[in-house]
Amino acid sequence: MSAIVARSAFNRRLANTFARHSLRPASQQVLARWVSSESGYVPGGPIYKGTVNDPTTFPPPSRTHGSHHWAFERLLSAGLVPLTAAAFVTSGTNYPVLDGILGISLVMHSHIGFDAMLVDYVHARKFPILGPLCTWTLRATTVAVLVGVYQFNTNDVGLTEFIAKVWTA
Amino acid sequence: MQSIVARSAIRSSKGFRTFATSAARSQAVPTEKPVVNKEFKIYRWNPDEPAKKPTLQSYTIDLNQCGPMILDALIKIKNEIDPTLTFRRSCREGICGSCAMNINGQNTLACLCRIDRESSKDTKIYPLPHMYVVKDLVPDLTLFYKQYKSIEPYLKNDNPPEDREFLQSVEDRRKLDGMYECILCACCSTSCPSYWWNQDEYLGPATLMAAYRWMADSRDSYTAQRKEKLQNEMSLYRCHTIFNCSRTCPKGLNPAKAIAKIKLELATE
Repeated sequence: MSAIVARSAFNRRLANTFARHSLRPASQQVLARWVSSESGYVPGGPIYKGTVNDPTTFPPPSRTHGSHHWAFERLLSAGLVPLTAAAFVTSGTNYPVLDGILGISLVMHSHIGFDAMLVDYVHARKFPILGPLCTWTLRATTVAVLVGVYQFNTNDVGLTEFIAKVWTA
Repeated sequence: MQSIVARSAIRSSKGFRTFATSAARSQAVPTEKPVVNKEFKIYRWNPDEPAKKPTLQSYTIDLNQCGPMILDALIKIKNEIDPTLTFRRSCREGICGSCAMNINGQNTLACLCRIDRESSKDTKIYPLPHMYVVKDLVPDLTLFYKQYKSIEPYLKNDNPPEDREFLQSVEDRRKLDGMYECILCACCSTSCPSYWWNQDEYLGPATLMAAYRWMADSRDSYTAQRKEKLQNEMSLYRCHTIFNCSRTCPKGLNPAKAIAKIKLELATE
């Protein structure tokens, strides 16, 4: 029993150190909820917010991050099926709009997928520096790829044509 | 006494069948069962020696001198071999959810899990994965219960009927089947990789199924508020339909289906 008490006291000390460190890059408002004076995320020990009888709390509700995000993600994934099929039967040179939509949807689809990974594994509450860094790297990459796809589709043969060529090469 | 002996003697002389009287037949001889030794490797960690790393300790018991379930083996080990072995148990029939643990890689209730009688293979028993361990096979479920409390798992209705109980149609009642049976053993939540990585924010399958159990209840009038709570990135949407929860549930329930229904209802409201 005394060992457990000692352990949790140790963890609390760790939590405080951690909180002080993570507050330094004060750019993230997201962190405010997780790193407060009373509790913080600590690798290696349970630090409960409040007493054991207090329920856990919920983040402020936001449909953009909740159901709308989920519905958009699913509709996009479902939409990619006919889009990909259409790219097979038509030629990108004849239907540049279709080619453009396919390019944008693919990039957005992969952006959402990568973003889900970042939220799962390098969330800002656990990685106050690496987390936001990864998120912004992903955003920059997505924008760059979108620009690249736009350039490729307007000045070159376009996505569908290119993949068809690579396939038969 | 004498008269009884006399009577039975008369009967046997007449050729009737009588009760056995010989010494050899009066005492039942236990049938000799072969010894089936089976090795159990059990996770051990003692909080009183926090510097010592957790180890797998091996115990060998005779399956023919033991009940059929893993819990019987654990109790036998604790009674006869090592009284320091620590685990939770209560009802021994799969209704309390105390003896949830990871047996041969699968989260299940020790009392509902049969011992594999193949004696050449050992059986490995660990506490529920990715939980803080209190001692040996006892995980710390504090956060799990705090999360369960956060979804307000009780009937909320501001206008209860005045003169009678709540009435519910058979169809409405049927919506709760497959959810109200949950015993909160935490097998599903601790089998979920998303819960492993983000359990401080993601509620996990058990809590989410309990949440949907109250959303689906026709007598509850707080459905909208219950849904609103889950409208964020972490609480619900860290579920990536991995289905470990439904696969592992020792009660045969389907938490993944409940979560899918919550997602659908949130998206279509």
